[in-house]
Formats: sequence, C-alpha cells, structure tokens
Amino acid sequence: MAENIATEQGQSPDKNAEKRIIIRTVGLKKTYMMKDVLTQALRGVDVAIDQGEFISVMGPSGSGKSTFFNMIGALDSPTVGRVFIDEVDVAQLTAEELAYLRCHKIGYIFQSYNLIKYMTALENVTTPMAFGGVLPDEARERGMEILDLVGLKDRWHHRPIEMSGGQQQRVAIARSLANNPSVLLCDEPTANLDVNTGQEIIDILVRLNTEKGVTIICATHDHRMMNICDRLMWIRDGQIDRIANRDDVHIELASIDGE
Amino acid sequence: MKVINIDNQPWLSMPRTMKITTDGIRYRLFRASVTVAVITVAVAFLMNILAESLIKRAIAANTRERILKAQLNSIWASKLTSPGSPESIIIETATTEKGSDLYKETQAFAKFDDAAMEDFQELTKDINYIFNFFESLDYAKRRDLVHTSEGVDILRYLSDPENNKTFYIGLSRYKSIHFDMEKEELDAILAKIPQLDASINAILAARREANAKITEILRRDYPNANNDAERLAMALPNADKEFGDSIRSVGFVFDKETVAPELARQAQRLQDTTRMKNSIKDRPVRQLIAQEANILPADVNDVLMWNFLNDKDFAEKYLVKMADSGQNIEGLSAELLVDLAKGRKEAEALERAERLTMDAGRGFMGLGERLAWLLFVSLLVCGIGITNAMMMSVTERFTEIATLKCLGALDGFIMIMFVLESCFMGVVGGTIGAIIGALIGLGRMLSAFGVNFISAIPFLDVLGGMLISVILGTLLAAVAAVLPSWKAARLAPMEAMRVE
Repeated sequence: MAENIATEQGQSPDKNAEKRIIIRTVGLKKTYMMKDVLTQALRGVDVAIDQGEFISVMGPSGSGKSTFFNMIGALDSPTVGRVFIDEVDVAQLTAEELAYLRCHKIGYIFQSYNLIKYMTALENVTTPMAFGGVLPDEARERGMEILDLVGLKDRWHHRPIEMSGGQQQRVAIARSLANNPSVLLCDEPTANLDVNTGQEIIDILVRLNTEKGVTIICATHDHRMMNICDRLMWIRDGQIDRIANRDDVHIELASIDGE
Repeated sequence: MKVINIDNQPWLSMPRTMKITTDGIRYRLFRASVTVAVITVAVAFLMNILAESLIKRAIAANTRERILKAQLNSIWASKLTSPGSPESIIIETATTEKGSDLYKETQAFAKFDDAAMEDFQELTKDINYIFNFFESLDYAKRRDLVHTSEGVDILRYLSDPENNKTFYIGLSRYKSIHFDMEKEELDAILAKIPQLDASINAILAARREANAKITEILRRDYPNANNDAERLAMALPNADKEFGDSIRSVGFVFDKETVAPELARQAQRLQDTTRMKNSIKDRPVRQLIAQEANILPADVNDVLMWNFLNDKDFAEKYLVKMADSGQNIEGLSAELLVDLAKGRKEAEALERAERLTMDAGRGFMGLGERLAWLLFVSLLVCGIGITNAMMMSVTERFTEIATLKCLGALDGFIMIMFVLESCFMGVVGGTIGAIIGALIGLGRMLSAFGVNFISAIPFLDVLGGMLISVILGTLLAAVAAVLPSWKAARLAPMEAMRVE
C-alpha cells in the first residue's frame, strides 16, 4: 500500500520528476514491557515519505503516533523492522553517527518548544551548529540569517522567558533549521498557540516547504494544517489506518461536517 | 540512488562547553548556591581543622623554643655553680651543634685539638643513642638487658664479657625492640671507655676549677650577702657588664653580643619579680590591695598583686605605699611594674600554650588519627550531598538534556557539562570554604593562645593547606557528579517529545 501512495504523489513546484524517498520504514513494530504487561505501540508500519513532501500525521492519543515519530526521528529503535533515513539504515549507526544524523539531517520542533531556557534566541539557534562543528563567527552570521527568515532578527538577544509562545516556536523552528536539515519533524507545533500565532507558524512551515523544499512531517490536530499539506496519514492502534491526498480528504471532511 | 554520508559527530569546543555550563549555572543560581553552600561548609570544616593543626604545631615548636630561651637564667646559674655529671656532659656535647659556644667551651676545658673534639663529639653521639635506646625500654626489659645500671654505668656493665653475652641473648629474645648498632660498633665504643673517662674527668675538673673561681669572685664582690646563691642572683643582672668579663675570664664561652644581654635582662627581671613578691609582706601594701579587691588583708597573695599591677595608676600608688612601709624602691618604676606583670602574663601564656599543644604535631600536617577520620566522614557526607543535588539537577533538566541530544549533543558532552558544573561549584565553594575555615581557625587559635603568638603562625603552610582544601573540594565535587552525569548522558532523547 505504501509504495502505491508514494508513487502517486508530486505536486509541489520544487518537486521535480525525480522523486527521492527520504524516509522509509519496513515492517516497523515496537513493543514495550510495562510491569509484565506487553504493550504493542506499533504493529507493523510500512510507509515511504518523499523528499519535499508536507505530510500530516493524525491519530488519537495512545495510537502509537508518538512512537512512530520517535522511530522516524532516530530517537528510538524499533523492536522489529527497519527505518531508513535518506536510505541509511538507522539501526546500523554508532552513537556518534546517530548524533551526527540528528544534528544535520533532522530538525525537531516540539509542542512545548523546548528551547534552552538560559540561552538567548541566537544562542539557541547556534547551539546545533556548534554541535556540528561550525565555527562561532560563521554560526552567528547564519543564525542571524535564519532568525531573519522567521522574522525575529530584532529579538536575537532575548531569552525564551522574554518571548511569547509564538515567538518561542519561531525560534524553535529557526533552531531546527540550523544545519539545513532534509526533514523537519513537528510534534503538534500549533497545539499550544492561539489561532493567529498558530497561523504564523503554519505560514512559516509552508514557506519552508515550498521555497526550500524541506520535507515536513507534522503531527497535528489543526484543520488549517490539513488544508495545506500534501498528504494526510491516520494512525490507529499502532497501524496506518489510512493515507490520502489532501483533495480526497476535503471531500471527506465536508461530508463529515455535513452529517 | 545517492547515499548520504554519515560522519562522526565532532566534539564541542571547550570554550562553548564552558559557556553553556556557566550560563546554565547562572540561570539556576539559587539551586547552585545551595550546592555551593554544602561544599563551602565541608571545605570550611576541613580547612578549619587543617589550619588549627598547622598553627598548633607551629606554636608548639615556637613555645618550646621560647621556653628554652626563657630558661637562660637557670641554665647559667647552674653552670656557674656546678660542674655537672658525666651524663649531662655527654648529652650536652651530643646535642649541640659543631662550632657552637658550648662546643668551643667543652673543647677548651678538655684541651682538645679540632680533630680530637670531633672524635669526642662523635663518641658522645653514639653514647647518647645508647642512652636513648635504654630510656625507651620498659623496666622489665631494661632490667633484663643491663640490670640496674644507669647512665655511663651501662657502658661499664656492658664491657664485662659475661654481661655482654647476656645482653645480646636478651636482645635476640625481644623481637619488638630494635637496637640499630652492630656488635663491632658497640665493641669499639666500649673499648673507648678509658679514653672517655679521661676526657670527661678533664672537663669536670676544668669546670670545677672555673666554678671555684667564680665563687671566689662573687665573695670578693658581694661581701654583704648571706650566701653564695644570693651573691649569684645579685651578680647575674650584671652579666652584660663586668661580671660577664669575669665569666669569660675563668674559661666559659659567654657571648657578649647575644647571650650576655639576654641573660642579664632575665636575671634582672627575676630579681625584680622576687622583690615584688616579697613586697606584700608589709601591712600598708597589703591594705592597698585588700581595699582594691575588697577582701581582708590576710587573704592578699601575689597573684592578686600581679593582676592589679597591670594598671599603671595602681602601680604608682603601690610604689608610694612600698616607700611608706620603708621598702627600698630604688630602680623600680610604675612602667617596670606594669611590664613585670605583663611578663608574668606572657610566661603564663607560654605555659598554657605548652599544655594546649601537647597533642599537636602527629600525623599528616599535624592531624591526629581521630581528626583524620572525622574529616573523612565529613567529606563523605558532603559528597553524598553533592550527588543528591546533582541528581535533582539532572531530574529537573530531563527535557533540556533530551533536547540537547536531539540537537546533536554527544553523551560525552552531556557528561562533561554536568561534571564541569559540579567542578565550578567545587572551586567556588572550596575557595569560600577555605577562606572561612582558615579565618575561623586563625581566630580560634589566636584567642586560645593570645595575640603575641601571631609571629609563630605559619601563614605559608596555612596557604598551602587552603590550596589543598580547594583542590580536594573540587575533586570531591567532580567525583560526586560522575554518577548523576552518567545518568544524564544515558537519557533517551525521546524524553524531549514528552509534554509535561
């Protein structure tokens, strides 16, 4: 099923004829042992995500959505199955290589921003660069560029506590872009924000997707997000319930609303 | 399909690591300051004990020296009147330095050339070792080895072949005692007994002769005194003047520059003190003190007198009363009385210092076994405290650590971050603690011994102790942080995804 859908896609202006699969999972299963009770968080997930795609992932809590995110973000290892990020098998990597992968290939955006509280906006952005070995001067220059991109150039010296939620999330986006990642993993980025600031964040994400061709995988319950994404994916009971193009979903949503 | 390169993640540069760590500490200043306080207290305790031990040891040495110096009067008084014993000559010669006054004097009395004197001193050193060896034995062992012999008689006892044999048999029986002298060496010493006797007799005879001459001079100069002891007491204050020349003329080596003025001063003080002690015999004087202390004249003693004489006004009144009761106050002044009272206080302080420092000077840096144990326990408690604080720090920073790992931080970086944080707190807490501990130790020691011991305080040693304390505090903090930081480094990065 996954292969079918992967080949059906491709409408973004940057996405050329040659489609590259950026993240691919094969038979992904994850079981947790909690006090002698075996919990199956994932029961065999096969999915392929193209480069430059904007995909929304939905599912009720406890559906295994978070586990799925941890797997494709190289934050956790599956019990059975494999995760390929840019065709590299994550299970084969050493600790140093994993750190490199997280640093350079994936950008993480969290629901509660997770900015480092004692760093300024600029320092937050340049920290991943420093981890990646970028020299301080260059990092500062690039950090300011990225902050400019999210519209926070003037507030580079502010600490998270001095910024609003929307601004913090924008800094978090800037931080995730620090090392030009191929994939942005967003875990409900607008859940903690009001309608207007949420829209700002969505706009930034869309711009990144269309202008820079960054692949965006986004867990969300936000309807606006569903409107602009390329594909939608539902996870239920540790399995992929459905994957559909946006156009198909529109009809469905309408019909649900109509009921 | 193009396969991307996955490299090893490089290590974060040290300056950046430091900056992240210090920024973190600054942000959590309150928690950090509590941890610092724990380290401060522990290091202050360590430093306090260290400082007190060091100071105590130094004061003990200083006190011994000062007491020895203050005994100049009694040393010379006995030297000028009695020739001493063979044992005292041996011990004196063995413990004096080559070229000292005593060394030269003995050489002159024995009429030795330089080489002979050197030989004689070597011999006395060996004999002194034998003396010390037998002094250290308990009664039963000593009786078994040399029967009841004492002093030089031990050598005579051992020169008897029969006794010599039983001595070595006894020595082989007692495994716990070590006589570090070969049989040949001991035999050589025993062979020199006649020579030793001759030397010592020569010295004794010369000294006896010198003593006789001194007595003669004293009788000539002080015909009115009751006895020879009184004459000597009257003459000694003049040791820096004509009486010093007399001492030198009969053959004693008596340094005019260093020893003579000090001896004269001490003798003069002794004389004045005796005079003052006798002054309270008269009724008007007693009444004055009784009035001041509000007690009966019969209860007045010299301790009271000295206490009141610390006050200059009282000393002046006292002098008037002394004159009223017909005492000779020539050479006495209020200043001198105050000074004498102070001197008595100082002598008391010396005595007290000697008593208080009896236990000083054993073990590493003057620490006793009990104190070392106490220190170890306090450091252990402090270490557990730091570990606990760091554990809390790790727990409340789960998200931060996990986020850093998502951003590409290596496990090693997380570990270094926490150890470094602990080290910083160790340095700060250690420095504050070392200063506080040293100050408290200094204050306590000064209040116990008196301010006049300030010159005896080994500031350099205390500074060294402070350095050791800071290093120890930092090391302790670093070691205590290893477990929490290891826990932090092992934290799964997916913790960052969790929403509180």
